[in-house]
Amino acid sequence: MLLTAVRPARRQLLRGGALLTAALATGCAHEDEGAFATGSLSGGPAEAFAPPDHRLSGSLRILMWSHFVPTHDSWFDAFARRWGSRVGVDVTVDHIDLGQIPTRVAAELHAGQGHDLIQHVAPLPQFEPAVLDLADLVAEANRRWGPQLELCRRSSFNPRTNRWYAYAPGWVPDPGNYRRSLWAAVGLPEGPSTWDELLQGGTRIRRTTGIRLGLGMSQELDSNMLGRALLWSYGASVQDAQGRVALNSPETVAAVEFMARLFRSAMSDEVFAWTAASNNHGLVAGQLSYITNSISAWRTAQRSNPDVAADTYFRPALRGPAAALASYHLLYNWIIPKYASGAAAAQEFLLHYTANYAAATYASKLYDLCAWPALTPDLPTWLGRDPFRAQPPDKLALLADAARWSADLGHPGPTSAAVGEVMSTFVIPNMFARAARGEVSAAVAVADADAQLRPIFRRWRDLDA
Amino acid sequence: MVTRAPYRRRTAEQDTFLARLFVLPTAGYVIVLVAVPVALAVAYALSDVTVAAPRYDWVGIANFAAVLKDQVFWRALTNTLVFTTLTTLVAVVGGSVVARLLFAKVFGRRVVRVCVLLPWTTPVTLSSVSWLWLLDPVYSPLDWVGRQTGLLGTGASVNWLGRPTLAAACIVAVQAWRLTPLTAVIIMTGLAAIPASVREAARMDGAGPLRRTLSITVPLTLPVTAVAALFCAVFSATDMAVVRILTNGGPTHATEVVASWAFAKGIDGGNLSEGTAAALFLTPVLLAAALAILRAARRVELR
Repeated sequence: MLLTAVRPARRQLLRGGALLTAALATGCAHEDEGAFATGSLSGGPAEAFAPPDHRLSGSLRILMWSHFVPTHDSWFDAFARRWGSRVGVDVTVDHIDLGQIPTRVAAELHAGQGHDLIQHVAPLPQFEPAVLDLADLVAEANRRWGPQLELCRRSSFNPRTNRWYAYAPGWVPDPGNYRRSLWAAVGLPEGPSTWDELLQGGTRIRRTTGIRLGLGMSQELDSNMLGRALLWSYGASVQDAQGRVALNSPETVAAVEFMARLFRSAMSDEVFAWTAASNNHGLVAGQLSYITNSISAWRTAQRSNPDVAADTYFRPALRGPAAALASYHLLYNWIIPKYASGAAAAQEFLLHYTANYAAATYASKLYDLCAWPALTPDLPTWLGRDPFRAQPPDKLALLADAARWSADLGHPGPTSAAVGEVMSTFVIPNMFARAARGEVSAAVAVADADAQLRPIFRRWRDLDA
Repeated sequence: MVTRAPYRRRTAEQDTFLARLFVLPTAGYVIVLVAVPVALAVAYALSDVTVAAPRYDWVGIANFAAVLKDQVFWRALTNTLVFTTLTTLVAVVGGSVVARLLFAKVFGRRVVRVCVLLPWTTPVTLSSVSWLWLLDPVYSPLDWVGRQTGLLGTGASVNWLGRPTLAAACIVAVQAWRLTPLTAVIIMTGLAAIPASVREAARMDGAGPLRRTLSITVPLTLPVTAVAALFCAVFSATDMAVVRILTNGGPTHATEVVASWAFAKGIDGGNLSEGTAAALFLTPVLLAAALAILRAARRVELR
């Protein structure tokens, strides 16, 4: 009798303990970076595995960037090794700073040896002659998961040569990050929705608090993205749909004049010297009222400056006279060099990785978004109720349709090697900066930039021919 | 009938053979690591190769013509010459002062020497990143000191790297900071080589410190100082790490130098042939500097 009475109590106790442990594990896992290092995602999607059609062997060397969200790399490394052990491939993953990747790729391609699979955070069209055409891989991915997002497709395909120089399974949007308390004080609690509101509100915030806008005009990646967003919003662009230089237009001059006004009214010289991390630093330090960036600055603030994180909200692309378009913040390009001995394994791995992109999104704390939206059915739920403790939980909900207001770097033309060289030589940020600094008029800055673009485009067109 | 060469001649022939044998590793090193890359660079500059295309098409001097039309290149070339001249001036003057301080018999001289040498022994990338943090627009400790001492207003920042002239001054300052120890050590060897009897004789003749410096120290260390200056100029002109890390050539190419621009064009931008052509513009200048170094070294040797 005693025994029977005790048994249910013990069972209840054990069950209660198990539930408590599970609840604690779920609650703490998101705070525990180590949880991702095990390769398992507590509370995240389960890993799917489909055996490859043919037998694989040998090794696969992967080179990729050191992710801004470190939990992603912990997850990815374990994920890749786990796949390797299942299919009989020895996988190694090397992470390097994103700024070093183009140099490393160039060195490996020239040497004819190195990694079998390389990832960069921007398109790599300049390497097309030395990498495999991934048309079959993209076709297989489209067959499995439906059509790829247009901005990812356009950032990995060369319409002139009809070759897929890269595989683009994911991307990162570039919303506006704004401090709600500051913008509420100037009557815009939801943040600016147009470039004009940004100018009016940013000016008043600076005048009353000394806190500046943080829009880079420096020789770095973010400034390139921002400059293009402003151009598109004014109906201007670097090139037209056919890939011909189209910069020198009244719309571009108007956009440059606007940026000069914005600088004089609401910014300081700091924006000319920024690195890619500077606007993040400024936001986290509470010194900037608005920046355009991924969500990584805010994720950093969640840990290092919770007050600023709680006060930081997001806005989609700002509307200009012609459109409301932002560039993507990052776009993942995976390339397989022609010399790669592990090319077959690399392609199989990319399919496996894409099939599990929901896990990549989760491990990156919703930083990376998938090029095949059908693969992340839970994304709207996650964005509407952030698993990583956003306050309020739906702070990221606007990213659910980020593809609608985002464009690729070459927009409206193809992302060609010429576009890549224009980006690497910072023609667009410097065009804005020269006018903003008052070195030359907007019209002269645009004409000079246009003159810099033409030989670059001519040269790459000749090479393509 | 076979006649044997005299003993002395045979020995001389053996010496010549041995001398050539000993030079062989150095010659091989120079050929593989200097001559071949330079030849390759010239070949690239005369072609249309890109960073990924193995195809070699001869284009003659088209790349050089394109470089000469490029406004940014001219700015980079001007900056290179200005930065190199200023860096060399500051480093040589600073190095002379430091060398004399290090040469003086003071307590803890060895520790001081190690400390002075640190900027030179630290990898340039590491020291540049340290300077980047020191000059950061948001977290600069220099700005913080300025704010604490009232030199800057609340929340104000100098924006060290955001203003063209100031950014250029920062580049020169960092280059001079890292090259001053090198010039100091070279000049110190010159100071050490001055016979003590010469100084003593001058002192006995009634020459004061200024007179001894102007009539003995400066003339006798001049060849070594020239070597130091030329080393400094070459290191400064060819370095791109400081610029790339501190400003990446900005703002608006105000700190762009030929090396950084050639890298941005050739490697980052994929336009390898034009980038190489830009880089080759430095070759005559550096070659002249190298010849000058050798001549100055020869003068030192003949003293």
